[in-house]
Amino acid sequence: MPSHDVLIIGAGLAGQRAALAAADAGASVAILSKVHPVRSHSVAAAGGINAALKPQDTWESHAYDTVKGSDFLGDQDAIEIMCREAPDELLHLEHIGVTFHRNDAGELGTRAFGGASAARTYYVADITGQAILHVLYEQITKYHETVDSYEEWFTTSLVQDDEGTCVGCVARDIRTGEMELFNAKSVILASGGNGQTFKPTTNALICTGDGIAQAYAIGAPLMDMEMVQYHPTTLTENGFLITEGARGEGAHLLNSDGERFMEKYAPNKMELASRDVVSRAEQTEINEGRGIGPDGGGLYLDVTVVPRKRTLEALREIVNIGKDFAGTDITREPISIRPGQHYIMGGVKTDVHGQVPTVAGLYAAGEVACVSVHGGNRLGANSLLDTLIFGRRAGQHAAQRSRAMPMPTTPTSRLRQDLEHIDAIIARDRSGRRISEIKDELGTMMNRNVAVYRDADGLATAHETVRRLKEDATTAYIDDRGTVFNQDVLGAIELGYMLDTAQATVVAAIERKESRGAQFRTDFPERNDDEWLKHIDISRNGDDEPHVTHSPVTMTQWEPEERKY
Amino acid sequence: MAEFTLRLRRYDPESGEAAYWDEHTIDLEPHRSVLEGILQARARFDGSIGIRCSCRAAICGSCGVRINGQPALACHTHLDQAMKGARDGVIEIEPMGNMPVLKDLIVDMDAVHWKKVRRVTPWLINKEPIPEREYIVPHEAMVDVTQSMACIQCGACVSDCLSMEVDPLFIGPAALAKAYRFVGDPRDAQHSERLNDLAQDPHGIYDCTHCFKCIEACPKGVAPMSQIMRLRRISGRDHGIVDANNGERHEIAFTNLVRDHGLLWEAELLPRSYGGDSWLAKFGPAAGRELLSSLPVIGKALLRGKVTPMGALKAHKLPDEDLQQVKRIYATVEGRDEAERYELNLYISGYDEDMEGAEGPPPDAAAAGAQGGDGGMAGAESGQPGQSPERSPSR
Amino acid sequence: MKVAYWPGCVSRGFTPELHGSMAKVAPLLDIELVELDRASCCGAGVIAEHNQELADTLNARTFALAQQVEGAELMMNICSTCQGAQTECQERLDASADYRAHVNETLGEHGLHYEKGLSNKNFLWLLVEEMGLDELRSRVKQPLTDLRVGPFYGCYIVRPTDRLGIDDLKPRDTYLAQVIEALGGTVIEYAGAYKCCGFPIITMNKEVSLKQAGRHLGDAVDQGADCLVTPCPLCHLNLDLQQPLAEKAVNRTLNMPVLHLPQLVGLALGLEPKELGLQQHIVKPTSVIDWSTSVVAGV
Repeated sequence: MPSHDVLIIGAGLAGQRAALAAADAGASVAILSKVHPVRSHSVAAAGGINAALKPQDTWESHAYDTVKGSDFLGDQDAIEIMCREAPDELLHLEHIGVTFHRNDAGELGTRAFGGASAARTYYVADITGQAILHVLYEQITKYHETVDSYEEWFTTSLVQDDEGTCVGCVARDIRTGEMELFNAKSVILASGGNGQTFKPTTNALICTGDGIAQAYAIGAPLMDMEMVQYHPTTLTENGFLITEGARGEGAHLLNSDGERFMEKYAPNKMELASRDVVSRAEQTEINEGRGIGPDGGGLYLDVTVVPRKRTLEALREIVNIGKDFAGTDITREPISIRPGQHYIMGGVKTDVHGQVPTVAGLYAAGEVACVSVHGGNRLGANSLLDTLIFGRRAGQHAAQRSRAMPMPTTPTSRLRQDLEHIDAIIARDRSGRRISEIKDELGTMMNRNVAVYRDADGLATAHETVRRLKEDATTAYIDDRGTVFNQDVLGAIELGYMLDTAQATVVAAIERKESRGAQFRTDFPERNDDEWLKHIDISRNGDDEPHVTHSPVTMTQWEPEERKY
Repeated sequence: MAEFTLRLRRYDPESGEAAYWDEHTIDLEPHRSVLEGILQARARFDGSIGIRCSCRAAICGSCGVRINGQPALACHTHLDQAMKGARDGVIEIEPMGNMPVLKDLIVDMDAVHWKKVRRVTPWLINKEPIPEREYIVPHEAMVDVTQSMACIQCGACVSDCLSMEVDPLFIGPAALAKAYRFVGDPRDAQHSERLNDLAQDPHGIYDCTHCFKCIEACPKGVAPMSQIMRLRRISGRDHGIVDANNGERHEIAFTNLVRDHGLLWEAELLPRSYGGDSWLAKFGPAAGRELLSSLPVIGKALLRGKVTPMGALKAHKLPDEDLQQVKRIYATVEGRDEAERYELNLYISGYDEDMEGAEGPPPDAAAAGAQGGDGGMAGAESGQPGQSPERSPSR
Repeated sequence: MKVAYWPGCVSRGFTPELHGSMAKVAPLLDIELVELDRASCCGAGVIAEHNQELADTLNARTFALAQQVEGAELMMNICSTCQGAQTECQERLDASADYRAHVNETLGEHGLHYEKGLSNKNFLWLLVEEMGLDELRSRVKQPLTDLRVGPFYGCYIVRPTDRLGIDDLKPRDTYLAQVIEALGGTVIEYAGAYKCCGFPIITMNKEVSLKQAGRHLGDAVDQGADCLVTPCPLCHLNLDLQQPLAEKAVNRTLNMPVLHLPQLVGLALGLEPKELGLQQHIVKPTSVIDWSTSVVAGV
């Protein structure tokens, strides 16, 4: 049985950063991921990473922008930590080899980003996530003696001892189908979000909420799950992401009248207002009949106002995406975009060290977690920062925690149960629905009812549908009976994760009877600080039903105020 | 919507049977990707079809396959585009080459690709002292290595590498492009050590056969072969590394023979590549061994009158005046010091037409137009600078 | 048609029969060759590997000389490697006015100047795009009936496709097959047609180089080819001159004749194998000569 001080599940930015930090702190580390680490979804982050590094910038300004961006739902102690530690983290990345853009003096250069009062986004063309992820993987390779990398291992369950402490996981080697029990003193979840519960989404096919559901299953609370970010610029064609960097470089948004409609919604920041504001403005334009395209469901993003040389150098990837996936040369004509599901602010509730409050030994960092630094709405280029800061902190804390501990003994019952569960799925007769069909229905339904604008009726329909689909999923069948790369059976397990997390989102959205950040209730269109300046926590408490509680927002120095851009 | 038939190469390692073809007809808009087609087949007909995939947008590098024999990302190839290459109206999809197949379209990248990446010490070895803030490095240097950083490790170039096909030990295009990412990075302290390692390895930078397959295969414009050629250039010219594989000697012998004769003198090139850049090289032991092993070939060539003794011993040469011009070009260009060098990289600079913002052909069309038939020898005919009819009118 | 003709180095060195056969074939196709006898080696990618600007300047000089040829419609080469190496240099020169000016400054010393937009085509491209296959067909005297020919393109003339202007309108990577058919021959499909002959690493990794050549030749043998045809004299060196060693490397008898493109065209235009220098090849083109004899006998 593999035994390590720190076991990390997920190998995107948060997971790899945690692994390196834990190894630096002297721990023996395993990092386990259902895909090869460089395939992790962090690779798709395009625009950049925020840090108040310039001498004239301050971390307080960055923190205030983040608090305001969160619509005052973010926990200010956590936000302060993130913004204060950002400059050092950025320099660390530079030192280990990230090829950040330079200005003419050879120093790190920045671009503007949404919701920020200063240009503090550092970047590598528009492949920032890829560049950082690949450089971290270079380091993982360098650390091969202290970090064991289990690539293409699929986690099926977190394992607890008799006291409820998390002491490892059960995972399946996708390549051979073998199941293995992993033993660890501390477990860090870094397995990303659940974007696939929406269709379309900018998220990769692997973003199925595995870690959120696994933690939820063993009693961890989920927080801010109603806060789902719709990115203002996804391709109308297929939902692919067009980086906010485009607007950072000066691109305009236009409606069918050729009007720069953001003037009406955010006269100061215009296209660079926070994402929830811009997406809502777009949805309003579309709903009021000023959209473009055959069904009026899109709007124009006009990049032609950015100098071509600049576009070709700094937005190379979206030039290609436009060309390859929409047949549009964005340097010469506007491209059709619309708001699309992109990120979840919510996740497994943690403290500022990444610890999950009710489950000892369990940590979470990155999109799987909710610290909460993003609150009601995440600012662009704060997610990479979140993964790195809290990934590192979780890695360091877990290593420290493990130092004085003996290796726990891990009960094997969970391994047996998971084996039986998988065998049962494989053995199901072909009388139920296909997995893919259920997944499709879930995504389409969520995107209809739990999107930019929500109301009680739509949310009730959503909850009803999720319950029905959960029922359907218990008899859904698969085709693959093999063990080697049986992706089919993994898909069935992922579907279960998606349904659990979708339910938490719907329940939280029903609960919050106000409009704040990404949650806009047409039946409760105002923000209501008196009643709702608080987090919504969802827990399972040992059964299959979501239970709702509330917890306070931590405030340090910024009182809620009206939010204008 | 349109119907497309996909012919998938299937392999089930547990069945004990050989790989086979499996056809499915799917229904999608023509500009949808081959990956979406495969996923539809999997969702509707057969959930056991194995393919790695994740982002769907050509950034995660998971879905490298061969489509109609050509390496590609399945998510980055439109169905209608794939139809053009389909021989019998069916889009043929196979696993990538040069790597063992694990199941269906899934290959063992770890056994080949990642092993080779690990071979090139793929992490930055910092130049000391590490500054308190960032390293101050030129803007261009960072853009330059970002070309290699743009590699998504999809393996398309490895799949198609013709050197690796014959020599599985060849370090290969992806790993060598990765190596350039450090050699080109001013923050790395071990350029010379890295280059020496890669130059001396018989399966290193001089094992690339210059076939352009990797440039053609790469979906991200990394141009691995160009990075390999830059590694050679920096190795020989800037670090003076003379490798045991005759790579640098060959390069110098070739370059200097053209300097001295204006044209290539093959009979002299071979011995100098083995023995060093001098007329005496052919009498050196290395060249001697080589000549000896080639004797049957030389004999036959003489016998057939393909090569005459005089022809082999005497170089064909340019007329004197032209040779002097060539020599002066050498003196000027080779005489530039490092700061004066002008090594144009179109990945960084882009094409004039693209930078002007006027109506001009996209890069691909511009390159094609450069030798397209219609323009003829535009410059010669018009006699005026920049009056090529195929080019941007705005310059 | 008058062309500024760049024969390259190898066609006048180790494969003299290439330059010779081109000279024989040109008048039969009404191509007037004005030889660029003042131009230097293209560098074959090797000089560029040593010093990119040096290769670009040497080729800019060649292009400038070509542009001085009165009445020439374009520049023509007979070597895939020249085509590829020169096109790469031209791509850079044509892409950047700044760089072009920089290179022209060096050329200016000699009163030379390169204007962007030169058209430089291999004989193969010229046959299809300038002359046209119908015209070529009409000039055929002895159709290559029953001659099974495997095309061998050479890397430099087929990759990278965007640089070489290969697309749906100009499928230059199919021209060799089209020409073989136009000449009346049968095209043999085999695995090696677009692969590398191995020549560029013959001095660096001889075994791998020869194995590459040996495999492609073997594939052609297995598919029943009578001969191969190539527009690249460097490929010819590895496929023909080195064939005896390649046989050892792959441990099989090959005996596969390899023709230069002008030789194949010449045969169809009615020239004798000997006039085209076929006897100078290392591998005796017995199958081709037998075919030629039988055709003549048949007539």
